[in-house]
Amino acid sequence: MDNTLLSSSLNKSFGKSLLYTLPMFLITFMFMTGGRLNFSDPYSLLATLIAFLLVNILYFMMHYSGKTDRYRVVLFIIFAMSLSFTLIKNMIAIRSSMSFSQADVLECKIPFCHLVIPMMIIPAAFTKSIIFPGSILNGFANISSMVVLWLVATIVLGRGFCSWGCFYGGWDDGFSRIRKRPVIKHINEISRWMPFAVLFMVALTAALTLVPTYCDWICPFKTVTEFEQVTSLESASKAAIFISLFGGLVVVLPILTRKRTQCSFLCPLGAINSLSNKVTPFTVKVDREVCNECFKCVEVCPLYALSREDIRAGKVSIFCSKCGKCVDACTKNAIHYGIKGVPAGHLKNFSRNLFLFVSFLFLAIFSAGAIISSFQSLLKLVF
Amino acid sequence: MKKKVKIVAGITWAFVCLILIIILFPGLNSFSASTAKLPFMKINPNYTGGEVANQIVAESCTLDIRKPVFDGLFKERKNGFVQLDWRGNLPGKIVDSIDFDHDKKIDFCIFIDRKQLKTTIDQFNKNVKNIIISTPTSYGWSVRVGLRK
Ligand code: SF4
Ligand code: SF4
Repeated sequence: MDNTLLSSSLNKSFGKSLLYTLPMFLITFMFMTGGRLNFSDPYSLLATLIAFLLVNILYFMMHYSGKTDRYRVVLFIIFAMSLSFTLIKNMIAIRSSMSFSQADVLECKIPFCHLVIPMMIIPAAFTKSIIFPGSILNGFANISSMVVLWLVATIVLGRGFCSWGCFYGGWDDGFSRIRKRPVIKHINEISRWMPFAVLFMVALTAALTLVPTYCDWICPFKTVTEFEQVTSLESASKAAIFISLFGGLVVVLPILTRKRTQCSFLCPLGAINSLSNKVTPFTVKVDREVCNECFKCVEVCPLYALSREDIRAGKVSIFCSKCGKCVDACTKNAIHYGIKGVPAGHLKNFSRNLFLFVSFLFLAIFSAGAIISSFQSLLKLVF
Repeated sequence: MKKKVKIVAGITWAFVCLILIIILFPGLNSFSASTAKLPFMKINPNYTGGEVANQIVAESCTLDIRKPVFDGLFKERKNGFVQLDWRGNLPGKIVDSIDFDHDKKIDFCIFIDRKQLKTTIDQFNKNVKNIIISTPTSYGWSVRVGLRK
């Protein structure tokens, strides 16, 4: 019965949902097609249309059903898989391998990713240079455009970047949904702060060595993107660390805990994004007046961002990525998207509509290139 | 009153963010170009190999001798390297004498057998250490030789 109550407060009629989807429909059409359809390449045309329909159906369903995370995660996982697929495909086409060579490093040809950002800040301040062998402005994943994209996203979404923008988060988000029930249920609250410890360590070591140490030695996502050619004991050790961390924190632990353990315990950028939760206008609020302390939200939160104490205190922690899983789970509609300054329990629909538009638009457009490219490759493979 | 101001400020900030996201993608190229002009937006010499200090032109190829790199966070480090880049139509075996500090004395001789992927150096300067990297590149061949201060 309570579920019906929730639905009636967040969901919309078919017509109203269509109306809310219309701006997304128009903007994504412009971005995905450049304003006109390319009939000369049927694969590209079909891939674009499928991607376009997919994002708009998902957005429509968010409004129609009143559920957020259920549809967000579909695009988020497809984004993560598509990006890895496209990157690996391009690398195999260019270099015939997933690994990069010393020459690629010397020629500064390594694609930049946002996880480097925590390590480049101190060296940029003191040496007036970037400690990464990539391109400043040209080519795929150049440093300037990735920095701009991340900076705007983290100001606007805060740690929402980790559920609506990061092209890695979909991996552990996906694996965390495989089992119905968790095998490991409890962790020490203090572990939530681990990414800050990692951030401190990698920022310091990167500053001292002028090497992006996290990318060089730790990043689990090297396993699904690119890594240094194995030519020595050192590079073999690095590859072993990448694969073990991917296996442990991105695959096995998320399956056993139903949580995004890599994002919760390791990622240094996640820590910076948590801090930017202080800047973003969007937040998740707890309406104490209707909360019956069932703690379903605490149970489902994939980032350990909620504790019982947080709920009792009527707030979510800075670790919240605004994924909407708790909002979907709350049968009382007590936990909801909100705007800072607006008291909990007020303007629930308005806040959600505004946040969904902003966050989904970012995800849809940011992911479009990778998704279209991977759909195109799949179509070519099948037909 | 204070509550109302907070509400208006929050909603205004949310709308500003909405506009930011809408203009982000159409404006990405120009925002990126402006960002690229910031003073710290250049790749550290530890990656680029440093500026070209001297260029030796031969018949079919050129050799760029770069400025030695000792860059650290606050000050120069004790250990660094000098990078050499050969470009163009390279012979199977490369033999060159290098004076990287411009004191008109040879600091080391380098021998590269491109087919065997073998590189050796003879040092004449006590600050020249070992070969750090020797690799074919898209433009020819690159070598980094370790140096101490
Ligand atoms: S925690 Fe790191 S890897 Fe996870 S979603 Fe955030 S930025 Fe991406
Ligand atoms: S508190 Fe809610 S919205 Fe925030 S990360 Fe946890 S489940 Fe997602």
